[in-house]
Amino acid sequence: MAVYVAAAVVVLVASLLNITVTPYDPLLQNVGPSLGGPSLTHLFGTDFLGRDVFSRVVWSLPNDLFVSFAVVAVALVAGAIIGAVAAFRGGLLDELLMRFTDVIFSLPALVIAMVISVALGPGLNHMMFALMVIWWPPYARVARGEALRVSHQNYVEAARFAGQRTLGIIFKHVLPNISLTLLIYATLDVATVVLTYAGLSYLGLSVRPPQPDLGEMISTSQDYLITAPWLPIIPGLVIAIAVVGFSLLGDGLRDALEGS
Amino acid sequence: MAALLTIQDLTVAYESRSGPITAVDHVNLELHQDEFLAVVGESGCGKSTLGLSVIGLLPKPPARIVQGSIQYKDTDLLRLNGNKIREYRGTEIAMIFQEPLTSLSPVYRVGDQIAEAILIRELRKRGQSTIDSEFMQRTYKRSARQLKRTARVGHRIPSDLSEEVIRYLKLVRIADPEQVLDRYPFELSGGMTQRVMIAMALSQEPALLLADEPTTALDVTTQAQVLKLMKELIRKVRTSVLLVTHDLAVASQVADRVVVMYAGEIVEDADVIDLFSNPMHPYTSGLLSCIPSGYKDDSELTPISGSLPDLRSLPIGCRFAPRCPHAMAICSKQNPSLIQQDNNHKVSCHLYGQQN
Amino acid sequence: MDSKTETILRTEDLRKYFPVRKGLNPFSRREQRFIKAVDGVSISVQKGKTAAIVGESGCGKTTLARTIGLMTPATGGKLYFDEKEITEAKIDRNQIYRNMQMVYQDPESSLDPRMKVAASIGEPLYGLMRWDKHVVNEAVDRSLQLVGLSADFADRLPKQLSGGQKQRVAIARAIAIQPSLVILDEPTSALDASVQAQILKLLLKLQNEFKLTYVLITHNIAVARYMADFVAVMYAGNIVEYGPTRTVISRPRHPYTIALISSAPIPDPKTRNLLQTEIRGEVPSAIDPPLGCKFNPRCPFAEGICTSSNPPLQEISPEHFVACHFVNKTA
Repeated sequence: MAVYVAAAVVVLVASLLNITVTPYDPLLQNVGPSLGGPSLTHLFGTDFLGRDVFSRVVWSLPNDLFVSFAVVAVALVAGAIIGAVAAFRGGLLDELLMRFTDVIFSLPALVIAMVISVALGPGLNHMMFALMVIWWPPYARVARGEALRVSHQNYVEAARFAGQRTLGIIFKHVLPNISLTLLIYATLDVATVVLTYAGLSYLGLSVRPPQPDLGEMISTSQDYLITAPWLPIIPGLVIAIAVVGFSLLGDGLRDALEGS
Repeated sequence: MAALLTIQDLTVAYESRSGPITAVDHVNLELHQDEFLAVVGESGCGKSTLGLSVIGLLPKPPARIVQGSIQYKDTDLLRLNGNKIREYRGTEIAMIFQEPLTSLSPVYRVGDQIAEAILIRELRKRGQSTIDSEFMQRTYKRSARQLKRTARVGHRIPSDLSEEVIRYLKLVRIADPEQVLDRYPFELSGGMTQRVMIAMALSQEPALLLADEPTTALDVTTQAQVLKLMKELIRKVRTSVLLVTHDLAVASQVADRVVVMYAGEIVEDADVIDLFSNPMHPYTSGLLSCIPSGYKDDSELTPISGSLPDLRSLPIGCRFAPRCPHAMAICSKQNPSLIQQDNNHKVSCHLYGQQN
Repeated sequence: MDSKTETILRTEDLRKYFPVRKGLNPFSRREQRFIKAVDGVSISVQKGKTAAIVGESGCGKTTLARTIGLMTPATGGKLYFDEKEITEAKIDRNQIYRNMQMVYQDPESSLDPRMKVAASIGEPLYGLMRWDKHVVNEAVDRSLQLVGLSADFADRLPKQLSGGQKQRVAIARAIAIQPSLVILDEPTSALDASVQAQILKLLLKLQNEFKLTYVLITHNIAVARYMADFVAVMYAGNIVEYGPTRTVISRPRHPYTIALISSAPIPDPKTRNLLQTEIRGEVPSAIDPPLGCKFNPRCPFAEGICTSSNPPLQEISPEHFVACHFVNKTA
């Protein structure tokens, strides 16, 4: 468990460094030799425009993580409410909401993201928005299953005897009792979003250069795989560490919480 | 009367995150031939653990036999390994459980499950290695090899076996046994599935029948029918019974002898009439006065004060002392042992002296 | 009859049917079938008394409790609380709940596992009375005291409580608002014998102190006998016998009641009543009950008319009602 936490913490801390220190301005060109390898002055080397790779990586990490957390947070909240309402009210509303969920779920994520980004134009916020639109269905499904279980418990009916209306019961009793399962799922999900977002920004759908972004860094430097391997590999490694770190964190969290 | 089953100094513990919990603590018990013994107690007293350890069905881990022996006829069941105990289980010793729906396999028909039990009985009776093909041929008009194949449930029962199955179904008073043969367990009611379980258990012609809360999940009228049936059949088939129950009233109706357990120990062991007319241990009399009897405004219900002890932190001395209205100084210092009084009545309490 | 005893709850031919799912074919011409859980129940409960509804699983007693508690709308018939009709779905339920509360069978699921005891007990006070925090806290403390729990229980979570303690909290929650009627749905079935006795005594004490009316749902005859002033025996959605406890339990007249009472094990090894009972058959299907009297396939006294007409409740002696064509046979 400690290992998992450490991995995720490292990534989080690294993203915070952005606020405090980057050795070089990530946008400034020619701060070092073009295609210089990793050295003491440039920890991750420099890219083809002479920009410090380390600074660029550190600069772009918080964006990645912010996007991932934001998408998961929105998906969690939206999915939880949709699922809980569907389960609790049942009947036609349940059918409608769940079929709507199925429709969104069946849309291919990447394609939709691309469509939205083309429609709105490229950029971090647009990409984040696109992901939020399609990311919530699994949460709605899980939430509905859990909410069904909870809604049959006597304390939910007792709440009616206590004067609570449906909406109040959903927020006061149903959602708090399904939140644990959803949170565990969400923690594991962060890793997936990181990866998906990296993929999308690799395709150039997110930030425009010269803004640094891990996925974009990989795509623009893939031609240099042989000549300057650190350029595509290092951002890739950073993404991989982030993904693994959060996956392990999610696993550890689940083990710890389910054990209790 | 020879003792069929002798449990000596049995101690069973469960491993938990906060350390080992002793569920059964130095228990001594005897079950005689043709006797109907009820082990009575509330939740956590260890009665189910006791029952399961006789037949070797305790999940080990987390359960662990710390010490003791369970002598069945001439064998210590606790010293047998998995294979050996299987020879006893389902043949000499049969068991019926509380939840009828989860005790029968939902994917096989009821008739096939009973047939399987009968076939296993016959195969085992003939010993492991050799099967008397003559006998099999005569009795079941099939060769041993064919029977062995049919013993795998899933094949339909051979017609001559189905006669015996129907005989058992009739024995447990199931109406329309020919129909029930073809049914799946989920198509039957709780009472009927429990009867099927009894039929399966009795088809083994066991010498010992263990029943763990067999009627708790049933309605009161069904319970009456099933208990009545059990008593009749047991008399007919000459099986001894160890019944585990939380319901003293049920025990009073069917048992010859009653053993009362509290926090893993036996506190009283007596003949049923003696126990109810002369309960010696304060817990037993407390339990009896907990049973609502009589009408409103007209009867006294005296609950036992306090609550069941936490098995993880048991008091020193007698475990019932904190709740006992007759507790004396010695009770919180020394745990009394089970001592025989008159009338074959054993009690574990400082109120009663030694009897030689 | 005491002219001061008023009727606090009354049902008139109350019915609750659940539609059976018709399957996938929307054009199926099969008639809609119903599970007739409560099939015409007329009872009245006197203020300050305990009316027990006794029956086995599937008889509809829990559905009856939930219908009376307005948790599910009645399909037919009428329901009166304090002589005001409350059958319609449009009524203000919260007004009713100020005077009617419920205690459930399973202590494990009665309390929200994420809410502290004080919050659970206070919920009806906030929701129905709109009292402020100060008043609610006082009421919660008083409730805890009344059910025999010390004040420090207020901050505990359900998982820190035993079954008996949870049930006490559930009772504290039900009486905090000082209702006049409490529906008790098998309040002690899930508890050990020693705990059951404590809870039953507590309930009686509270009834005496606050002049509560109880509607007690139970399958346990001994509990009904100990707690109730009146007993109603329910079978397959109908009340088959109703009357003062002493009468129904010691001089039952309906064949089902007779079988039910004699099936209850008496803790006396010298009278082995169990082994003398003779009842055959099983509880009938609620979708296709037998024609006529629903008990007729199992009844030792059934004759011709029993298969064609479901007998209504008839008063055979003061306050004692039996639904049987041949009640004279059981005298």
